[in-house]
Amino acid sequence: MILKSYTKLIDGTIPVQALLYDDEQLLGSQEGVGIYDGQQKSAHHQSGAIYVTTHRLFYYSNQSPHRYSFSFDLAHTTQTDYYAGLFTSSAKVTLHLRSLDDVADDEDDVTAGWECSVCSFRNPPGTSRNSQVCALCGVPRSDPTDTSPTSKSLPSSRSTTPFTSEVSCTACTYLNTASSKSCEICGTPLPGMHSGTAPPSPALKPISDYGPRLIRVSFRKGGDKSFYAILKRSLQGKAWEVKTGRYQAVKCPRSGHRFVASVHVFNFLRFTTVSDGLLRNAETSAQTSHSDMTESLKDLEAFMVKARDMVRLAQDLNERLSATTGPATSSSPHSSSLSSEPEEATFIRSSLSQLGLQMANAPVTLDMIKDERKWEEQLVQELADVIQDGDSGKGILRGRGIIGLDEVWGGWNRARGISLIPPSTFLTIVRQIKSHTLPPLDVRTFPNGLTVLHTPEFGEGAFSDRIVTLLAPEGGKTTSEIASFEDLGLGMTWELIQAVEQRGDIVRDEGGGGGGAWGEGAEVRWWANVFDGYIWDGHSFQDS
Amino acid sequence: MALSTHTTPTGFLLPSIHSAPPFFTQQPNPATQATVTEQWTKLILSYARFRRLFTLRVEDAETSGGDWDEVSRNPRINRRLLPSYLEYIISQLVAKGLAVYEPAKQTRSVQLYWRLPEEWAEVLHEWASSTGQLNTIMTFYEIVEPPLPSELSNLPISLLKKAIGILAKTARAQIIAVADGEGVRFLAGTSGR
Repeated sequence: MILKSYTKLIDGTIPVQALLYDDEQLLGSQEGVGIYDGQQKSAHHQSGAIYVTTHRLFYYSNQSPHRYSFSFDLAHTTQTDYYAGLFTSSAKVTLHLRSLDDVADDEDDVTAGWECSVCSFRNPPGTSRNSQVCALCGVPRSDPTDTSPTSKSLPSSRSTTPFTSEVSCTACTYLNTASSKSCEICGTPLPGMHSGTAPPSPALKPISDYGPRLIRVSFRKGGDKSFYAILKRSLQGKAWEVKTGRYQAVKCPRSGHRFVASVHVFNFLRFTTVSDGLLRNAETSAQTSHSDMTESLKDLEAFMVKARDMVRLAQDLNERLSATTGPATSSSPHSSSLSSEPEEATFIRSSLSQLGLQMANAPVTLDMIKDERKWEEQLVQELADVIQDGDSGKGILRGRGIIGLDEVWGGWNRARGISLIPPSTFLTIVRQIKSHTLPPLDVRTFPNGLTVLHTPEFGEGAFSDRIVTLLAPEGGKTTSEIASFEDLGLGMTWELIQAVEQRGDIVRDEGGGGGGAWGEGAEVRWWANVFDGYIWDGHSFQDS
Repeated sequence: MALSTHTTPTGFLLPSIHSAPPFFTQQPNPATQATVTEQWTKLILSYARFRRLFTLRVEDAETSGGDWDEVSRNPRINRRLLPSYLEYIISQLVAKGLAVYEPAKQTRSVQLYWRLPEEWAEVLHEWASSTGQLNTIMTFYEIVEPPLPSELSNLPISLLKKAIGILAKTARAQIIAVADGEGVRFLAGTSGR
């Protein structure tokens, strides 16, 4: 009987991990145990496995997991004994239990969870028995009788309080919440409404009638010592109890003052002010979101008006310009397909000239030229024009001999303005540029990945020769000196010089003087290769 | 800029390449560096022979005042050999068989072979026969510290042993245990040359 009243049946086919509460941890387990109900062996619980967690013991029956598996709350335990076993008697752990009256509380809460009266949040089961505070909004749990409609038939007649959510104050008639002990307005103690804390009158026959209140676990297959140690630790941990007496910083929702209150004061304050504050918060936030919405809708309306204007303007533009530029386009070199020219092209072209993008030719787009190869050819020609711009020297090159591909790509797309060229297309186009340019431009990629377009005088051999002649007479020029001589960027010069060094045409001098002006981090000076073809002119010996 | 040779206070004629600043910088281009290493090798071995130096250490580039200052530094162009570069050159010398790490199992000090052990063997045998020491037992000390200065003066014992070992193989020397260590007896034999 002891076993029956203190334990709850569980479905032994469900693994123990699935039955744990959120804050519960599995600590250990032991196979081959039997259970004593009081002093007697419990007939149905003689072969099974026992699991100990921070909150409970689980017994999993081997014979009939459905019917005889159970869980037991460690909170019922007052004391434990350990018996090491003798001859044929197995080791045993005895759990002494407190009377059920002391732990009166409904088990259903723990298993089924509860719903917060303020925010309707369904709190998970297992949140410590005493911390009846909503995990979402922090409001303490009100009387379980009126908030847990899901509770199954209550095992004990706990409270006879009638269902009332509000209690009228005898002095001022203010309607207080049911769980308040005194009136919120005048502080008068409220009449007999402490249902949540009033000890329920036990209706069941006192358990003590069934003999000593204890449960024994008999270890038939050993493991008793380690199990007992784990059990002790779990009992000492008292994970099921809330840490009471904490102090918390509280911010008053009305005045904004911060103060420190003990948990009890804190809970009371919360209950009286938070529910009120929550409502007001909800109101104000609803208000702000409403005004925000109205404002943004207004913006949207204004924007739509503008957009309509834009569309009208564009249509107007299109109509007018297709009429005026129609004859003009017929003179452009790639207008062979003018008759079949799609409307978009016309539109693009007209917008372009309207926006003042004065290119000699309108940019070539894929939809103008149907044949892809022809399209590429056109693009190459266009790119060549953009780079060199005939003889005027106004192209992207601007009279320079070498230019990074990034600059070319950026410049080309800037010149196009619309229908930009993706890098992949650009790379295929740029490889074909040599035949379309004068002087022919070459593509060159440096070891670090920098790719450039350059005129023949910046080809590897030509540049190297020039540098060597520059260095030969005096020797020892820094990269920046060479850069200013060649009128190039420092980074580009560095790449070019390194390529020359790779050829072995020049050598470097990194300084490294004996404590003189040259530190080890001095700038590199470049020299023509003085080592190649050097003939020993130092000391010589007669016999060698 | 015309590079010119320079005669040091000790009378060594430094090659003109020694006054080219890039000579003191390790070159990233492997082909170029190979040429430079060759020139450094020639310079180091010539100077070692000129001054009869047998040891070169990385420390010689780190501190001044050593035997190698005239080579490892060029104050006229304000350049000096950096220790890391010298270590590289040393490793190249060893790789070419022109030096050995002495003592072994480190890479900061070498014994220079401005004459290879085979050449030293010839020199040794010639000296022995020319000074009439054939068939007499001599200690190593008598060879490297002769009363009359010879080409073998101050020759490191380890190098001497190698040379004697080579002679022993062609039956022109015989290693003999003497009272205070080892001795050697040179035999006429046939010249290896």
